Amino acid sequence: MLELVQQITNGVAIGSVYVLIALGLTTVFGILGIAHFAHGSVSMFGGYLVYVLVASQGVSLWLAIPVALIVGMGVGGLIEFLAYRPVRNANHINAFIIALGLTMMVEGINLQLFGADQVVIPTGFDRVFEIAGVTIPETRLYVILAATVLVIAMTAFVEGTKTGQAIRAVAQNRDAAILMGVNVRSIPLIVFAMSTMLGVAAGVMVGSLFAIAPGVGEAMVVKGFAVLILGGLGSIPGAIIGGLVLGVTEALAAGFLSSAYKDVIAFVVMIVVLLFRPQGLLGGAK
Amino acid sequence: MTLTRKNGLLYLAILAGLIVLPSFISTKYYIHLSVLALIWVIVAQGQNLIQGFTGYVSIAQAGFMGIGAYGTALLGLNFGLPVWLTILSAPLITALFALVAGYPSLRVKGHYFAIVTLAFNMVIFIVLLNLTDLTNGEAGLMGIPKPGAGKDGAINFADRTTYYYFVLIAATGVTALTALIVNSRLGRVLVAIRQNETLVGAAGLAAWKYKLFAFVVSAMFAGFAGALYAHYQSFINPEIFTIAQSMDAVLAVILGGSGTITGPIIGAFAIVFLPEYLRFADSFRLVIYGLILILATIFMPRGIVGLASDALGLLKKRRAR
Repeated sequence: MLELVQQITNGVAIGSVYVLIALGLTTVFGILGIAHFAHGSVSMFGGYLVYVLVASQGVSLWLAIPVALIVGMGVGGLIEFLAYRPVRNANHINAFIIALGLTMMVEGINLQLFGADQVVIPTGFDRVFEIAGVTIPETRLYVILAATVLVIAMTAFVEGTKTGQAIRAVAQNRDAAILMGVNVRSIPLIVFAMSTMLGVAAGVMVGSLFAIAPGVGEAMVVKGFAVLILGGLGSIPGAIIGGLVLGVTEALAAGFLSSAYKDVIAFVVMIVVLLFRPQGLLGGAK
Repeated sequence: MTLTRKNGLLYLAILAGLIVLPSFISTKYYIHLSVLALIWVIVAQGQNLIQGFTGYVSIAQAGFMGIGAYGTALLGLNFGLPVWLTILSAPLITALFALVAGYPSLRVKGHYFAIVTLAFNMVIFIVLLNLTDLTNGEAGLMGIPKPGAGKDGAINFADRTTYYYFVLIAATGVTALTALIVNSRLGRVLVAIRQNETLVGAAGLAAWKYKLFAFVVSAMFAGFAGALYAHYQSFINPEIFTIAQSMDAVLAVILGGSGTITGPIIGAFAIVFLPEYLRFADSFRLVIYGLILILATIFMPRGIVGLASDALGLLKKRRAR
């Protein structure tokens, strides 16, 4: 029983990372209709950036993370403006192919700037807490807490502010939003900045929990999309629940079945969901 | 897209060009690249069928190549079956997997379909890597036999130029088959699905059957290409059947011109030779590659073939004046 609780706790930690990745993907998809496949690689760029700042420049972790988050916002906006905006009115397939090209580019840039070796962000968090018999390393606890704070902040932004209202308006009806005086040119920039910031946060978490290496970003984004399929596309609660479900399922599979095949679990779950509930677990009937 | 006399002439010219190509190449390495390019022509024709004609971007082609390659290699190595038999059974094995993969994934559209197929490619890769009893994991399979009876046989397939012609025949066959499919009623339904799937349903056609057909045939082509690759290189490992290679197939179709017969041929040669010419850029290769993909999508969405036919049209207009 304790073993089970332990695995679930591990699953929630990795699930938090999936939630952040999926939240970025789901807002971009739900509001702009773009399957932003480069999201994972851009997120890992943020993780690498923190690693370089902390490990080789000697910057404090608490300064490096905000810097990376802000850079991430800039990069996100830039990607929207330079790459996706030109194909806004073209076939949706074109945006996806642009996303594939971006993935190659960002992966290439990561490789060029940070090398092919795997890196771990030196956080200095090496304490291990024990709560009612369940051990939880300090880093995992912080990851879960940080993810919770970010999810709450994002929800508050989208639900509570004027800008958030404008974003939701554009998602519901672009033309009506224009008529209501919403500046629809700036909305995609804001959405991309916000989702890339969440992605960078996830990248930092991956870098501190596990390691960043070439290909990790791609694996992450595929899992993020698996979460979207689980939770229903464009759904924020769906991304949160889907991410946690995937994280816990993977941890249980790794703990009790086989760790080599734990990555297959995500896809098997995804395929089963598609077969029986193509609209996602939380998606409404079409 | 009809098979006009002009198009027929163009195809013949390309075929003739490919037949005489080896006599113009003195470097063995370029013959090697040309063999790879022809193998990629087969993959790209399949990719074009599902992506260009049906409008569903599948990112699993390299995974299916892997199934074909491992299928033929394992049948040959473990059961000692003749090479021609294992090469021909590779597409059938792949078709089986594609049926199982295609049925659930074709329930979703657009980006979602792309992502699900991509996930399939990842599953195939992980299984190839971890099923070490069968696939020998990362180390891969070695000593995959060549077709024919070796150096003493009537045809020496170990010779690169000979293998080039062998693959050329295969690629021509696959291209002809694709042309046959897209010019039939079936092909018109596929194009109709790309343009308006709801309307196809309204016309009383079960769109899913046609989509599944296109998906399975495209996978069979990839499996066939994988088998040809395995017997050409005599060595395979999971590394060459990843998503990156599947994206190459997508790129070949986009660069060449999607929804055309000549497009994938040009695109396949482009994706094999372009990285060679970008070698000077070394690690920037990936960046430049991605940039080309983005710029091509923005500025020439109809590919090289589209660009060429636009240029020809412009020239004709000038002359008419």
